[in-house]
Amino acid sequence: MRIFHKTSFDFIRFRKIAYGFSLVLLASGLISLAVKGLNYGIDFRGGSEVLIRFEKNIDVSTVRSVLDVAGVSGSLKQYGLDRSFLFSTVFNGETNDLKSLVSHALNDRLKDNHHEIVRIDAVGPSIASDLKWSAVKALIASLLAILLYVGFRFELKFATAGVVAIFHDILTVLGLFSILGGLFDFMPLEMDQSIIAAFLTIAGYSITDTVVVYDRIRERIRGQKPADYERIFNESMNQTLSRTIITSGTVLLSVLVLFIFAGPAIRGFAFAVFVGILIGTYSSIFVAAPLVYDWLKLSKSPVHLRGGKVS
Amino acid sequence: MKNKRFNLLLIAVVTLVAAWSLWPTWRDYSLSQHLNSLKSAPDSLRYALSNRDEIENARKKSLKLGLDLKGGMHLVMEVDQVDLFEQKAWNKDAKFAEILKTVRTKASQSDAKVLDILSGEFKNQNIRLSRYFYDIRNSDQEIVKKLEKESEDALNRAKEIIRNRIDQYGVAEPVITTQGSRKLIIELPGVSDENRVRNLLKGTAKLEFRLLRDPEILVRTLDRINTYLVQNSVPPPIAPVAVASPSPSVLSQLKAPVPAAVPAPVPAGQASARPLYDVIGVFQNGTAYTTERSKDYVISLLRRSDIQALLPLDTELLLAAKPEIGKNGEKLFPIYLVKKTPELTGGVITEAKATFGSQGVQPEVLMAMNSEGTSKWARITGANIGKRIAIVLDNAVYSAPVVQSKIPSGNSVINGIESLEEAKDLEIVLKAGALPAPVRIIEERSVGPSLGADYIRAGVLSLGWAFLAVSVFMLVYYKKAGIAADIALVLNIVIVLSVLAGFNASLSLPGIAGIVLTIGMAVDANVLIYERIREELDGGKVLKSAIEVGYDRAFSSILDSHVTTLCAAFLLYTYGIGPIQGFALTLMIGTAASLFTSIVVTKEIFSFLLGRNLMTQKSFG
Repeated sequence: MRIFHKTSFDFIRFRKIAYGFSLVLLASGLISLAVKGLNYGIDFRGGSEVLIRFEKNIDVSTVRSVLDVAGVSGSLKQYGLDRSFLFSTVFNGETNDLKSLVSHALNDRLKDNHHEIVRIDAVGPSIASDLKWSAVKALIASLLAILLYVGFRFELKFATAGVVAIFHDILTVLGLFSILGGLFDFMPLEMDQSIIAAFLTIAGYSITDTVVVYDRIRERIRGQKPADYERIFNESMNQTLSRTIITSGTVLLSVLVLFIFAGPAIRGFAFAVFVGILIGTYSSIFVAAPLVYDWLKLSKSPVHLRGGKVS
Repeated sequence: MKNKRFNLLLIAVVTLVAAWSLWPTWRDYSLSQHLNSLKSAPDSLRYALSNRDEIENARKKSLKLGLDLKGGMHLVMEVDQVDLFEQKAWNKDAKFAEILKTVRTKASQSDAKVLDILSGEFKNQNIRLSRYFYDIRNSDQEIVKKLEKESEDALNRAKEIIRNRIDQYGVAEPVITTQGSRKLIIELPGVSDENRVRNLLKGTAKLEFRLLRDPEILVRTLDRINTYLVQNSVPPPIAPVAVASPSPSVLSQLKAPVPAAVPAPVPAGQASARPLYDVIGVFQNGTAYTTERSKDYVISLLRRSDIQALLPLDTELLLAAKPEIGKNGEKLFPIYLVKKTPELTGGVITEAKATFGSQGVQPEVLMAMNSEGTSKWARITGANIGKRIAIVLDNAVYSAPVVQSKIPSGNSVINGIESLEEAKDLEIVLKAGALPAPVRIIEERSVGPSLGADYIRAGVLSLGWAFLAVSVFMLVYYKKAGIAADIALVLNIVIVLSVLAGFNASLSLPGIAGIVLTIGMAVDANVLIYERIREELDGGKVLKSAIEVGYDRAFSSILDSHVTTLCAAFLLYTYGIGPIQGFALTLMIGTAASLFTSIVVTKEIFSFLLGRNLMTQKSFG
């Protein structure tokens, strides 16, 4: 079976449209980030969360009013749709008190619907700021490492364009999190550690995709005149298109499985990776390679690439 | 040819090592399946006993499940270094207290080292550390170094003591590590009674025997505080609603010196004439009480430094650990005025035992002392016959018995305990010794076993479906070549699991997510190679050389793309904490393994098939 056999799309010609599209995507994300901000999970916000599961179906407002009447302050949300609710409140090192407060209130007033506290998370403010810092450090360090590696293996222009594409992908997903945050009950889209993991996965995948296209360009560009660059870029992208789509497809397939089966704890992560891989695939074709092309055209000197096949 | 034989050997070795490392996991699984299938309890007990070694061995070497899958607690505790430094200081004055207060607020807001904050604060105030710490002749650097050593020791001691407590409580495979200069990370798999564990861990277990002051002094002191509160009628700034006056039922039991029968509930914002006696009642015999409702307010009141200044020298007001039940079922917490300097501390305790008291209903803890403690205890009890000595644990009074006679044996008893379980926990903490400084829980993640079972189900389901989807896709899209990719995929998953089992790392839900993602990404290398082979075939090459060239040309792309993924995963592992590390770990192993499985293994499969003429141009779809 072959899906993308011998294609000849003129990607380079459409790059301006793609740039425009990307800018709109980024701008709307950034505006939402500025106006609405992000929905931080307790990893970065600090706080206590109690996950309560009931035996029988119950309305979220019923549980909320029961807790309100009992004077337990905090917010209650549906969690994952399976008779579970997530109660979040300010950080309290005395988890025992919080737990007994919640379970007494529910036991007193909802006697015929047995509940179980299945998970408790409490993150103190100092830990939250720790986690935030390590997340930022991990992101910066991985971008630097990628820049260095690709710069070493190819050339600085290629590396820079690749990192720009990663930024593009991560910022788009971040913007989407801001726009869609809190809209869905089954998927709160909160920023937490797992989303940072998703970002790094996206960064890794995006550069992987880009590198494959670069690799083909490197193989074909050696000794060619700058005038031929447009043809070479287009052909290289078309030749790798099938591979790009197929691997994105298999990864998307497995992430989709995660989204459907792995439960609410993983759902936000799966969503981020899914969108990130779609965007990453798009950006390696329409952002990374065209940027290199434009840059090479501006600099007007033939490119000297390291590595690759010397046989 | 030589190279080829090496590859085959390598594949065989890797497969064997992987199988060997996963064998105990399989044994563990099948043994516990067998145990579950035995119906009667004696049968399974007999089976368990006769195969005990094998069961234990298999369990020890099998793939561990993470806390989130097994259920359990992950705790991060912080040693209160400010308290520790306060203990180390001497001739403390108001200035010192003030500095320490700033240090405490600063330390709670930032992650900087407490010692740096402390020395910085002293420098700001232009006071030498030697004014309060160690020898006057020491330079600041020397003192900082000593204090650093001190806090390091404290952290390690706290770790040991907490390990002792956990061991005595009985948790299988606890993991306790230190992080930085003041954090302890505690992982307790399969804990069912979280509340009890939390209580067991966080108590300092500072045991003190302190002399009680006479009731008249207590009454006079309370009067003085009341007068002070009236004069400075700012209160109640702290939640006037919570400061409910004792209910009439309580007050009816109270006689003098509470003449003003029932103080009318004070409207918020308007000062009462008897602010203290709204929340504290005094019996005729001179004992003071507060109710459960007013307890928190009273505690916060007693913490205020202006209130503490009104107490007689070297005394402290402490609340009882447990309430006494009043006539009408009201819970009353006695308040004691005790000497600040303890007569004796818990360091002398050598043995503790939880039992039932003489009537056989009230649980209590018997304690024995070392020889030094025994002689001191004999002297103290001998000198204070007829007086009361409070037994104080972590600043709460458990009991305050009247000394009947001199106690020469070094025995003492803690009573006023609610349940035998609590008495057992007291026994554990007393035996393990007191923590050098208070500890606080600053992060906690606990997962109940039922949610863990859900996670396992979700994880297995995801693994199964992802594998099915990807492998079927490869078969459909690449036909025969897809089989090679699928075999490589199976081997890849086996390698990831075996590395986890072999290095005693545990598998968590994010870890499973990492494997699922690896399933999707691992075939990438095969896709790259196959697409290249297809191109070469289209270019008119014969099958054998198309395969050669395909592997050759695709290699640099595969290497570059894998290294970048490994970079990201490695950094995630380095900076990530807890669950995220599990994800990064499996992704890393999976990506590295796929370099081997999807290049070396598939190539060997092809050369095997080629050798038997089992491949044609059509085999790549």
